Amino acid sequence: MTTDGVDGKPEVREAPAPERTEVPEHAEAAGTAGAEEAPAPDPEKAVWRGPTAWVVPALLTVLGLVGVWGGLTIEAPPNATRPGPGAFPAVVGVLLLITAACMAVVNLRNRATGDGTPSLAWFEGRPVLLVLAGLVVHVALLEFLGWLLAGALLFWTVAYAFGARAHLRDATVALSVSAAVQVGFSLGLGLSLPGGFLELVL
Amino acid sequence: MDTLIDLAGGLAAALTPQNLVWAFLGVLLGTAVGVLPGMGSAMAVALLLPVTFRLDPTAAFILFAGVYYGGMFGGATTSILLNTPGQASSIATTYEGHRMALTGRAAQALGTAVIGSFVASVIGTMVVALFAPVMVEFALNFGPGEYFALTVFSFVAVAAVVSGSVVRGIASLLIGLAIGMVGIDGQSGTARFDFGSSSLLDGVDIVIVTVGLLALGEVLYIAARGRSAPNFAAIRAGRPWLGRKDLRRSWKPWLRGTALGSAFGPIPGSGSEIPTFLSLGLERKLAERRERRTGERSEFGRGAIEGVAGPESANNSSAAGTMVPLLGLGLPTSATAAIMLAAFQQYGLQPGPVLFERNADLVWTLLASLLVGSVMLLIINLPFAPLWAKLLKLPKPYLYAGISLFSVLAVYAINTSVVHLVILLAIALVGLGMRTFGVPVAPALIGVVLGPIAETEFRRALAASSGDPAILVSSGISIGLYALVVMAAVIPLIAHLRRRRADRAADVRKPAGLV
Repeated sequence: MTTDGVDGKPEVREAPAPERTEVPEHAEAAGTAGAEEAPAPDPEKAVWRGPTAWVVPALLTVLGLVGVWGGLTIEAPPNATRPGPGAFPAVVGVLLLITAACMAVVNLRNRATGDGTPSLAWFEGRPVLLVLAGLVVHVALLEFLGWLLAGALLFWTVAYAFGARAHLRDATVALSVSAAVQVGFSLGLGLSLPGGFLELVL
Repeated sequence: MDTLIDLAGGLAAALTPQNLVWAFLGVLLGTAVGVLPGMGSAMAVALLLPVTFRLDPTAAFILFAGVYYGGMFGGATTSILLNTPGQASSIATTYEGHRMALTGRAAQALGTAVIGSFVASVIGTMVVALFAPVMVEFALNFGPGEYFALTVFSFVAVAAVVSGSVVRGIASLLIGLAIGMVGIDGQSGTARFDFGSSSLLDGVDIVIVTVGLLALGEVLYIAARGRSAPNFAAIRAGRPWLGRKDLRRSWKPWLRGTALGSAFGPIPGSGSEIPTFLSLGLERKLAERRERRTGERSEFGRGAIEGVAGPESANNSSAAGTMVPLLGLGLPTSATAAIMLAAFQQYGLQPGPVLFERNADLVWTLLASLLVGSVMLLIINLPFAPLWAKLLKLPKPYLYAGISLFSVLAVYAINTSVVHLVILLAIALVGLGMRTFGVPVAPALIGVVLGPIAETEFRRALAASSGDPAILVSSGISIGLYALVVMAAVIPLIAHLRRRRADRAADVRKPAGLV
């Protein structure tokens, strides 16, 4: 028995739904309409196959190299006690490299036995890129546009990525939530979120 | 006997209408932030600090304590219903709790969580009040060597308990340790891994890591899952209710969880993650044993009520337990406790043995108001949990849009700096990668929190012994802890090898059957 991370289980659809009540009001917005879907694999138990199998070992190797590099180059002040500030980074770096090597060995072994089917077929890149784009734009424009507009834009983009298509209603909800947060924070908690250029105009 | 009289005096002070209002405000706010993903009680207390500066200290601390306890209760609700733990301490609840919700038993999961939290809070607070002197004395025996042994034990326990794959669990832990090393080294004052950015000198705030890995990483992951993501519409909340059978299965995990939480809460560095995961592991083992003995099927993996009752009780009693080192030693053992320590200092109070002498009335009123707060939380959570469940009626796009918005807000609110938002984005990407490739997230969080503590204690121990490593194993406490480390490392390894052998045998059979 493994504890699979924080992801939901595919059992959802087999779950008994005794009183299948009203269809949710926003059924067109909820992206999960189909009934016959291939259940997503449980990533925590899935074996890595194909080129993507090397992503995690590569990440660990890079982190490990940075750690070892830091361990070797960080200069301790002359009066510092030993072990100095570089000791822990070096140890963690070496452990990261060892872990990466273990994963690489497992990968090579799996390549010999596997059937070569890609394990990440379920991954949908488009919505992820949309959400990421929304976040990047939000961070870039937050101080110029102000919280109200940048926050609303982020809300709208993420909602769009998740399949919301009622553009006018989405925009209204986005603006209201963003405004409520700004008012709540500045009045209730005395924390000022950036006003942006609206502050200059109004 | 003296303690009881002191506590009664504190209760009288806590029951004034004014203090009751502060306690009620605190628990309401705490439940709200506990429910909201990415907003923990630590952040709420931090945000409240400037607002409460003009209050008298007693009122302020009653408010903070209410937020702290409220966050623990509220965290369970979203862990169960939405699989988005509001804070790290409720991660353990998600495993079985959310599965119960998915199989239509959300009402029972919420019921056992709320009542278990109440039982644990009351017992935990009483334990703190009655045994504070004893526990403080025990914690005072810890030198740097023992602290280090404790953190090593926590690392191994977490990597072994949480993950399905040991290598991936260790990888996650190491990623967390690496993130925790960024910033100025507390021992020597040397800047490490700042890459020339002054924002990184303070290190990566735990709020950023938590929000990035748990909240924003989850949003990205659900986006990637697309159509194969779980459907909340199947979840029915209902009024929290425990049948006779659920009650029979719940009460022992409540008490076991409370005991674990009370034991670990006061130990610096252990936080509430360790006892919650230990409780989850313990209940699973016990259920498996019962299955072998009596044939009653273990429901772990399919939504076991024991897996909610135990961790939730452990969570709350350890929250109470962290008050012991905070009040008795001035030593914070959790993010919230750290911020409360900052609050004490803001009022010119120094927690520690002196506080018990000079400000005894404040301490006892605070402890008594925790009892009052627990009763309030039971009242506002048990009948009104369906109200929180209304979150499920939110259309999914709006829900995730809202989580994204609050994540950005939470991080921006700490420092009002855009650089921290860029760090948040980077960590969210790491979180997406970890989820996609099945690397568990929880060990990374433990690594970030405990890594710096482990390093500091290790170096402090060696500095004290002028470099002689024998100090690390010089006491019975640390030797005992290392023995536990070996046990925690070896037992899952054997189980893992055994499972792999079984899997292989199954693999060999399967293709043969197909052909």
